Amino acid sequence: MLKLQSNNRYRPLKIGDFVIILIFLSALFFIPRMEGKKVRVIVDKEKEFIYPLNEDRILKIEGKIGIIMIEIKDGRVRVIESTCPLKICMKMGWIKNKGEQIVCVPNRILIRIEGEQFDAITE
Amino acid sequence: MQLQNRIAHISVFTAATVSLFVIESLIPRPVPGIRLGLANIFILLVLLNYGYKEALLVGILKSVIGSIVIGRLFTPSFLLSISGTIVSVTIMGIAVRYGRGLSLMGISILGAESHIITQVLIISVLFLGKASLSFLLPPFVLLSLITGSITGISAYWLYTKLERKVEVA
Repeated sequence: MLKLQSNNRYRPLKIGDFVIILIFLSALFFIPRMEGKKVRVIVDKEKEFIYPLNEDRILKIEGKIGIIMIEIKDGRVRVIESTCPLKICMKMGWIKNKGEQIVCVPNRILIRIEGEQFDAITE
Repeated sequence: MQLQNRIAHISVFTAATVSLFVIESLIPRPVPGIRLGLANIFILLVLLNYGYKEALLVGILKSVIGSIVIGRLFTPSFLLSISGTIVSVTIMGIAVRYGRGLSLMGISILGAESHIITQVLIISVLFLGKASLSFLLPPFVLLSLITGSITGISAYWLYTKLERKVEVA
């Protein structure tokens, strides 16, 4: 025989519940942002260039079959000109989040966005 | 209540709690560390009907017996389980005692959150380093909000069911 308290103190959802839910929902604002901090350009696995994302600039990098022009602007990266036949790297458009990358196969160029910290754990 | 009665009741609740704990550990989970915390339903009921000391006892027994059954006694996950349980039962005890504006839902959410926050703190301090705190805590807090709500609803449902049974018995 189980004897349980009987009162309706615990009817579902009182005001205090909403307060608690709101308090813990505020954790949404502390979720680490996935925006990248720097861009790494790797040419044919040999040469590596690293640039910060917060400085606008245009890079000219020599790949396997020609020069590729990379634009860094407003924390985003894109390829604006390339000598490769299919121009896939140009059609990729802008990338800005950590882990995103643009690859130009004929030029052997890999452009990857990286974060600043925790890379050792997340990768 | 008589001592024998009390012991019998606590034993029944302990058995139920351990069963849920073990069953839950059999369910595969995608991300380590995320559990529904179904055992918390019974701990919450013990807290409401018998008191803080009994709930703490059931919680500790849950961690010890459950860990023996699933073979994780004295591993890091046992340490996390028992410390999380002690803190969350304490927080829920305070909430039951002083939280007039809280329903079972809010109390259960508080329990789930304190459980996971304790665990994340321990993991960060002991294993990963304090820098990991800022990116571990927010997602776990949000997930616990969901799991805490689910156990809160379940606990409320069970609470009302058991209440009705008492009138017949």
